[in-house]
Amino acid sequence: MNVPLLPMLLLAGAATAWSATPRELAQSYTAEASRLIPGFQGSAQRGAEFYARRFAVSSHLPACSACHTDSPARIGRHAVTGKTIQPLSPSAVATRFSDPAKVEKWFRRNCTEVLGRECSAAEKADFIAFATEGT
Amino acid sequence: MNKILVWDLPVRLGHWLMVAGFALAWVTGESERWRLVHVFAGSTVMAVAAYRLLWGLIGSRHARFADFVRGPVQALGYLRQLLHRSPPHYTGHNPAAGWAILLLLALALASGASGWATYQELGGDWIEEAHELFAGLMLIIVGVHLLGVLLGSVAHRENLVWSMVTGRKQGRPEEALTRPGLLAALSMLAWTGLAVWWLAR
Ligand code: HEC
Ligand code: HEM
Ligand code: HEM
Repeated sequence: MNVPLLPMLLLAGAATAWSATPRELAQSYTAEASRLIPGFQGSAQRGAEFYARRFAVSSHLPACSACHTDSPARIGRHAVTGKTIQPLSPSAVATRFSDPAKVEKWFRRNCTEVLGRECSAAEKADFIAFATEGT
Repeated sequence: MNKILVWDLPVRLGHWLMVAGFALAWVTGESERWRLVHVFAGSTVMAVAAYRLLWGLIGSRHARFADFVRGPVQALGYLRQLLHRSPPHYTGHNPAAGWAILLLLALALASGASGWATYQELGGDWIEEAHELFAGLMLIIVGVHLLGVLLGSVAHRENLVWSMVTGRKQGRPEEALTRPGLLAALSMLAWTGLAVWWLAR
């Protein structure tokens, strides 16, 4: 696919609070990633490694799991404010990965914090594959 | 004309607290690492603005809204005179500044309330959008406010920023405040501390 699907999704999302399914969202990230990595497929296992990996760029927020716990199905706790965070898994919270603009915003914010850079489309596709496992 | 005391302590202290809080809230807004700092800074702005509303009703002479809030005709008239470089001098706030001040206070409360609702997860995503919108509007009005302060300072050859520090401006002796407002400043600080503690829980 050579249409810039993701920007279009995002535009649609921003304009109309357009909603997508986690699968559609994962597909658009996969499509974007496969333009750089031919034949790319999202992998829940790579996603799991990414989720637990200690990047340690920030000593307060070393990994995604610092706030989202070891499992996306569990209720998380904000490592700085102590506020609870609802699970990331759509089987627990149906609205997860359904609003492209919201997902992009949090990927941008949390990745910059934890990795010190934005996440790639491939990392996002893997992440969603892992977080939606079993749904 | 002499230099007389125009701005009491709660006005000055509150002003610089709001400036510091707004700047801090602005640079930390996008970051989860600094979320707690953001919440404390933003809550400070909100608490001081709320106190300032009350102080506008019961405060010292030049702090009262009745002293400086005027209709749009007068505000526009003042701006026109400012453009022609012959604005009349006001001991307190001029009519155009009055509008900027009301807007800034309203936006401080709106940004604060929407931020607090987001933090407590009381609303949907739209509350979050509203928070971003109010904060953005406030930044614009702060810009307008700074431009006004600059133009007013030049027009009257009076350093208005410094007057917000020392409280002293040009004016007639009988317009001077007789008390610096130490007690009111302390009560403002106490209120702000309490409100911030409550808001940031
Ligand atoms: C500082 C704590 C923190 C860390 C660390 C963190 N997150 Fe989050 N994350 C949050 C919060 C808070 C939300 C929004 C909470 C909500 O919507 O309920 C969120 C939401 C998300 C969402 C939005 C899901 C949706 O559709 O609603 C995604 C995606 C996400 N995080 C991915 C990540 C990734 C990837 C990492 C690691 C690189 C990460 N997060 C690390 C706090 C964190
Ligand atoms: C006048 C004061 C304030 C200003 C100027 C301000 C400004 C901002 C800005 C610019 C953002 C980033 C928005 C974005 O890009 O998504 C933000 C986010 C946020 N602010 Fe504030 N804020 C203020 C007060 C507060 C207060 C009082 C609280 C809570 C008590 C608060 C809580 C939050 C939260 C939780 C977010 C993250 C929202 C999200 O994106 O989910 N803010 N703020
Ligand atoms: C950051 C956000 C700011 C907010 C919310 C804000 C708000 C206000 C308010 C509410 C007043 C009225 C004072 C009162 O009667 O209580 C005021 C006046 C004033 N502010 Fe600000 N202000 C901000 C930034 C600044 C900055 C950065 C400067 C200077 C560098 C400044 C300089 C002044 C001056 C000089 C006055 C007095 C104006 C006059 O003489 O009429 N302000 N401001």
